[in-house]
Amino acid sequence: MQSDKKIKDVMIGIFEYPHIPYWFSIDQAIRIIKVSFISAKKYPEPLAILVFDEKYNLLGTLTLKDILRGLEPRFMRPTEKAQPYLEEEKELSVIWDTLFAKESRELAKKSVSEIMAPTKVFVEPDDPIAKAAYLMIHHDLVLLPVSEEKKKFVGLVRMTEVFDELSNAILKE
Amino acid sequence: MEELIRRENYQKLYVQLCEIMKRKIENKEWDVGFQIPTEEELCKIYGVSRATVRTAISELVREGYLTRQQGKGTFVKKQMSDELIMSTSFRELMLEQGISFSTEVLAHTTMMPMDNLITLLDCPADKHVIYIKRTTIVEGRPIMVQEIYIPFHICPPLLEEDIVNNSLFGLFKKHKVDITRIRNYFGITYLSPEEAQVFSLAEGSSTLLLNQLFFSGETPVMYTRSIKRSDSFGFSIEFKKSSINERRYYVKR
Repeated sequence: MQSDKKIKDVMIGIFEYPHIPYWFSIDQAIRIIKVSFISAKKYPEPLAILVFDEKYNLLGTLTLKDILRGLEPRFMRPTEKAQPYLEEEKELSVIWDTLFAKESRELAKKSVSEIMAPTKVFVEPDDPIAKAAYLMIHHDLVLLPVSEEKKKFVGLVRMTEVFDELSNAILKE
Repeated sequence: MEELIRRENYQKLYVQLCEIMKRKIENKEWDVGFQIPTEEELCKIYGVSRATVRTAISELVREGYLTRQQGKGTFVKKQMSDELIMSTSFRELMLEQGISFSTEVLAHTTMMPMDNLITLLDCPADKHVIYIKRTTIVEGRPIMVQEIYIPFHICPPLLEEDIVNNSLFGLFKKHKVDITRIRNYFGITYLSPEEAQVFSLAEGSSTLLLNQLFFSGETPVMYTRSIKRSDSFGFSIEFKKSSINERRYYVKR
């Protein structure tokens, strides 16, 4: 049960997503999400922005979740060792509400490089699609960059297409 | 009908107000010498705060559309004549002849257009823009910082081209983008903290500013913002009438 298709057959162009340099602030990223997706009524899956460096290398991706996490008041973030109980989280969310205007607006001035998900794994255009599925599962990703010879960033694969291809193979049996 | 500010628009209010007033000036509703409404009146007409009105007016003064006269009011300024067309490239413009310089590219990447770039470049907010930032170094000292914005769809290969050893004009030519007109604005600006660092000058120091908007036909293809140390070198400018305008000129006579 193997799909003959390669990554290059399902990848999409990098210009399908908005690009920003890493020094943009969170509030600039928010405005870009508003004009590119929300007011344009365009909701690609996933909603994301690509973050680049000065030399046009992909540094990371920024999803709505990354942005919201970046706006979360500092004291609410659990330390890695002491995870709060679930019951406490409900109450904490109320505190966030009261603090939102004050602290989150301040946090929105931070640069996106502090909150983006850094890009660590890539696939090559000739890799099998299953490799993308493997990396997505093990690195908890919904969008995976495609690079040529580990250098040039040429496209993206989304979980939707990966799922579609792999599931076709199953339905055919 | 009066054009109004749209709050659901994600552009900043002052940018919107700026554009509304600019259109009034450009279509001569507010002609040269016209005294524009006072700040209070503008607040009332557009339903915005005084701070917004003030920022918008300052921006138009900065761009050369308006002039303030103390105790009298704010007036529409005579525009630079369209019949004079700049024939020189920025290097010839910004540097005296015979000076040897080197260029360092600080950034060559893409971004989404923000704020006034959308209107300047007439570029949809969800379309990518190529961003280039470079410094010109003379005798080991940075004397100019230039930021360049080009709508990606105008010339996609520009993102991959070697811009260290090639001029942008040369690259535009190679990719068949013909620059036919350049709108220039000269002024003074004050260094932001990052810019000050490049020049090793104090934040807020005054520097020369040159904003240029490049057109191919009627389409804006590139916007550049160049700042230059004001303590070094002078400008040399050459104006030349384009052949089209020359013809028009003779017909008029």
